Amino acid sequence: MENIWKTYQLGSVGVTALRGVDIRIEQGEYVAVMGPSGSGKSTLLNLLGCLDRPERGSYYLAGQDVSTLDDGQLSEIRNKKIGFVFQSFNLIAQLSIVENIEVPLFYQGVRRHRRRKRSIELAGLVGLGDRLEHHPGELSGGEQQRVAIARALANDPMILLADEPTGNLDSSTSDEILAVFDELHRQGRTIVMVTHEQSVAQHAQRCIHLRDGLVESDGPCGGDHVDR
Amino acid sequence: MSWTFKILDILRLGFHSLGVHKVRSGLTALGVFIGVCGVISMLAINQGASAEAQRTIQALGSDNIIINSVKPPQRVQTGSSGGRGALCYGLTLADVECLREAMPGIVRSVIVHRTLKYAYYNGRNLPVVVIGTEPAYRYVVKMNLAGGRFISDADVLRHKPYCVLTLGLAERLFGFVDPVGKCIRIGGEPFVVVGVLTRLPQSLLAQTGQADNYAIIPITTERDRFGEYTVMWTKGSAVFERVEISQVIFQMADENAVIDGVAVARNVLPRTHAEMDYETVVPLELIEQKKKQMFLWNVMLVTIASVSLLVGGIGIMNIMLATVVERTREIGVRRALGAKRLDIVAQFLVESVVLTTIGGAVGIVLGISFPWLIERFLGFPTVISAWTLILPFLMAVLVGLVSGLYPAMRAAALSPIAALRHE
Repeated sequence: MENIWKTYQLGSVGVTALRGVDIRIEQGEYVAVMGPSGSGKSTLLNLLGCLDRPERGSYYLAGQDVSTLDDGQLSEIRNKKIGFVFQSFNLIAQLSIVENIEVPLFYQGVRRHRRRKRSIELAGLVGLGDRLEHHPGELSGGEQQRVAIARALANDPMILLADEPTGNLDSSTSDEILAVFDELHRQGRTIVMVTHEQSVAQHAQRCIHLRDGLVESDGPCGGDHVDR
Repeated sequence: MSWTFKILDILRLGFHSLGVHKVRSGLTALGVFIGVCGVISMLAINQGASAEAQRTIQALGSDNIIINSVKPPQRVQTGSSGGRGALCYGLTLADVECLREAMPGIVRSVIVHRTLKYAYYNGRNLPVVVIGTEPAYRYVVKMNLAGGRFISDADVLRHKPYCVLTLGLAERLFGFVDPVGKCIRIGGEPFVVVGVLTRLPQSLLAQTGQADNYAIIPITTERDRFGEYTVMWTKGSAVFERVEISQVIFQMADENAVIDGVAVARNVLPRTHAEMDYETVVPLELIEQKKKQMFLWNVMLVTIASVSLLVGGIGIMNIMLATVVERTREIGVRRALGAKRLDIVAQFLVESVVLTTIGGAVGIVLGISFPWLIERFLGFPTVISAWTLILPFLMAVLVGLVSGLYPAMRAAALSPIAALRHE
């Protein structure tokens, strides 16, 4: 509940994506992770999202050491404490909007009617209350990303992870989506967003720059360039 | 409680995914459907044939031991035995007496003497098999009367010239006239028809290779009128044969008595018979043999039909593997959103099992109707028992489980990150 710790080191024969990254993210923070491609942003996000385990080092999520958990336990953590928003939306094409939003609840074992109620609520929250039975293919990119956000919120996550959420969107829809994130931040959500656009990162309070698997800079995202 | 809901949910999900590719799912299920249908039909037809065969043997009486006189093989080869008088072979009254004493558990015994004669009535002259026997014959061979009565003990005692005809013979001889009470000639001797039997049991026909043309008369009368000799004319020379008893049927108390009795008979008879001029027919043994034979047939047919189930299973595995590849992204998303490995395994396993179960269910429906059609239009008897339905169905479900397992495991083994990155 309180805070998120991240002490991390990774070294391997092949590509070493992260070589000793130490970060600490407090609850309610809005963090942008930046850096050129290959700097380890995505790897960091995967680790934060418990999709992967660090090779060395440890990761404390709400005081719990996550790096020692097995696959099943990690799934459970992802299911209950983490919300994902992907660059390519990653909605399930065969499922309708409501059904997509329901997926995390499905794996929590929430009963059908309660699941449905919650997902309709969330669809309304992101402004898609009238397209419940549509399928992802029938929506625009911006709308799809809203669905993805609603899905990420379905489990009331501790931390919301976004991997270049505006990467596939034009600038006006990007602004809409970023406004949604701003709103979520105001409501007290913890958000970690990977991006390489300075304009996007400026919505965050804090910017972490990565380069070659190391933290290059960590500080508030001021109006201007961030230096050391 | 919650896991039952989860199972329901996963089932719903499975149906949903299958519904997305209706044609593909249908074609995949077709393999299983054909397999199940084939297994059921083959079993039904085979069991029908088996039941028919068993009924035939059963009609001989499973508690009977039948001993027939047969011409010994050597003498058949020699043909006429050089005018040294009559050819004597077969069972004798002394044999029967001896067996009666030696075999435990005899309920009744009936002796039969058979001759071939011509029956004459109102201008029609037909060949008949004359069976001289005792009233108990009716119970041992299990015949039913269509009209009139059977020969009685009194008839036997008084050497009455009464006869009972089988239905086929009666129809051919009398046409539409009621034969009961009419007088006919058999082998030139007058007989009064006192009864008509219902259609002859298949057993007698099968056993003797004769048509439905029996005239049953009291054994005493038979001996008086026709004697123990038969004359056969071959190329102008006559061959005399003397057979005291053509057949003796022992009705035993139960199956154990049958088994014991046969052993005794096979032990006793060789002592008085140097040649094999008799044969023992034990319906019980025949039934056992038939059962064994039918079991082997069943195994073979099921094996053949199972091949199509197997092919269907491979088809399913193939499709499921393709599906897993196609839905790698979805698997990644589900994993990211909290699906455990087991959830993914369950999802794909349920899909394949649902597929084969549907195929199996449709296969059962058609597997029932197909034999029914065969029976209806080809007149071939078929039998569908509970296990002929349950077995193929279980096989179908099993095929679903087995062929779904590998693709499902493959799906679950994917790392979430790799799956998400998959294009």
